[in-house]
Amino acid sequence: MRAVTLCAVVDVDKCKGCTRCERVCPVLAIKVKSKKAVVDVENCLGCANCEQRCPEMAITMVHLEQSRIVQESLAEVDMAAVIDLCRRAHLHPKQIICYCTATRAEEVAAAILKGAKSPEEISRRTGVRTGCKVECIQPVLRLLHAAGITPERPARGYQWYGLTPTVWDIPEEVKKKYAQRGFYFDEDRKLLDSLVGASEKGGR
Amino acid sequence: MLRAPVMPLPPRRSQYGVAPELVRKRAAELPDMVSVLVRDLFPDAAPVIYPGEGGLEVIRTATRKQMEKVDLSMIKPGDSVNVLGSHHGFTLLGGAPYAEMLKTIRDVVRERTGCTDIRLRVGVGLRFRESEEYIKSFGLDEYYEGKAAGVAPVDEGVAIETEIGTLYGIKKIYDARWIIHAHNSDVREVHFHRQVDRAVKPFGMSYARIETRSTYHQNLGPRAANFVARAIFDSPFVQEKFACAIFLMMSPSGVVGVDADNDLYALNDRVTYWGCRDYGKMMTLLGEIDEAITILDFPSPVPYVFAAGVIFANFAGANRDIFDLDDPLPPYTWYTEAFYGEDGRPLIEGVPPVNPAIKVVIHNYAWGGYPSAFFTEHIPTVVVGREQAELLNRDPQNISYTKHALLAEDLDTAVCFAKRVAGTDKILAFDGASGALNISRSLGEYLLQKAPLVSRRVDEELLPKWLKQRGIDPSRFKIC
Repeated sequence: MRAVTLCAVVDVDKCKGCTRCERVCPVLAIKVKSKKAVVDVENCLGCANCEQRCPEMAITMVHLEQSRIVQESLAEVDMAAVIDLCRRAHLHPKQIICYCTATRAEEVAAAILKGAKSPEEISRRTGVRTGCKVECIQPVLRLLHAAGITPERPARGYQWYGLTPTVWDIPEEVKKKYAQRGFYFDEDRKLLDSLVGASEKGGR
Repeated sequence: MLRAPVMPLPPRRSQYGVAPELVRKRAAELPDMVSVLVRDLFPDAAPVIYPGEGGLEVIRTATRKQMEKVDLSMIKPGDSVNVLGSHHGFTLLGGAPYAEMLKTIRDVVRERTGCTDIRLRVGVGLRFRESEEYIKSFGLDEYYEGKAAGVAPVDEGVAIETEIGTLYGIKKIYDARWIIHAHNSDVREVHFHRQVDRAVKPFGMSYARIETRSTYHQNLGPRAANFVARAIFDSPFVQEKFACAIFLMMSPSGVVGVDADNDLYALNDRVTYWGCRDYGKMMTLLGEIDEAITILDFPSPVPYVFAAGVIFANFAGANRDIFDLDDPLPPYTWYTEAFYGEDGRPLIEGVPPVNPAIKVVIHNYAWGGYPSAFFTEHIPTVVVGREQAELLNRDPQNISYTKHALLAEDLDTAVCFAKRVAGTDKILAFDGASGALNISRSLGEYLLQKAPLVSRRVDEELLPKWLKQRGIDPSRFKIC
């Protein structure tokens, strides 16, 4: 769940149309048209990525007159399917996957089951990836992958590059090679498995 | 051995904090505050070279001397070199020693190799312009002849093939023929890295794209995650570019030296030993505190405000031995945070609670730009001043931070209220004071009494265990 209180505003006198803002917006809500950045106010979630990376300092974040909540409802979704999708992504449905918005895995799973097919679409529906913009891309990609969806990267954008390894993918020879250096691969896998297992047992 | 409070450095002007003039009173100015020096707590602490009478010249001299033992012959006059820095270095002792080291590195590389295309690339955490602020503040852009840049994890990336699969770095970090890893040994967020491969970590963090950082914090678990940085550093892509590493060596007392090596893992072992020993003592001592009011009073995000070299997040986890890798989950990491349900109860057994000794947190001065609502959800918090509250309310990473906090008009009111509800007069200020803790008299006396036992326990019992878990032979360091 994301409370949207801010919106990006472009100073067109400063904007040189470099497209950096367009390349980093996690919800594709800013586009360069006729060499000037234009904000889609309806879809901007106020994450400030554009403001933070604009080389001309041409963007300011301003308070919205009326804040709004972005959230995917769990009401009309098959919860068994949500739980199953989370399990296949090695996630507990109730675990937080976006620390800034406290978005839980089940909300992203619900968005996917209702038709979201890319990280950008998921962010527009749940608000995930619009806080720090850094830490939650992998669980989003893991859930899409578990749903059998291979999302398409935004053309020329830096929004995301790809799925990366998990503790379930570490080769045995790597574990063996670094066993004495404090990496604890199997023990951490056990910890994360116990979390997923807790949901499968009908626990919290 | 209690002394007058050490006045912390003044507030820093930054887009991530309130204006300095809005920080009207510091914790060190409260009545009954005293200080205790790290060397009074732990007399065997390593001697400090900075701060000291020699000023910054000592840092320059130490950097030059250490770089003499490093081979730079691989760098040819026509090559390009990226000196890689990280934002945290600038929060140490006001940032000047780290900036001086970065300047000296440039000079030495130029003198010894004839290379003129030397750039500075400084990574960040979650405040994407923070490094740009430091570069400007310390004149590094001019020093590097216009070739200094802050780089952010959302900037253009580059795929790096590793032993465990594809990970991603920031393209601008690696866009030179050679890279020089210029970092520091401050253990800081030890709750995350657990002092495992500390010297390697920036390859999976400051120099990495969001995909890699998300892998670290979401995909591998709280201890295995440290392998992310090693996987990247060991990759042929990075090894082909790596020239050497130069570190500002930190301790809770201040800068203890500069260290340099062509072998990052050799330097890493030294960082591990001294980090476990000196910071381990300070953190173990924090774990002895039975009750306290904590005041945040430093220009850093909430978990990173520090005192005597350790940070508030370390205190939030001091009810457990963060260095002990047999303990799977510290009381605060993002893995820990993820494992709490909507009702505030853990989803599985074995999730340790936030340090119950922290009765109240007073947020007098701390930045946004880091997801910190976890702390206000778990610890009663009083925010001083509407400006601080508004700063956090405007921060996309802290939309619900003030939802769980009270607001006080001024610091005195907040402290008075905190003492009444907490029933303690023990106060610990995280204000960046150098080589000392600013504390209330009652807590100072308590810590001086506990420190000798803590020191002995770390030396005899804990340090050998910590080093063994990390594959370090302590006998190699006995002569140091």
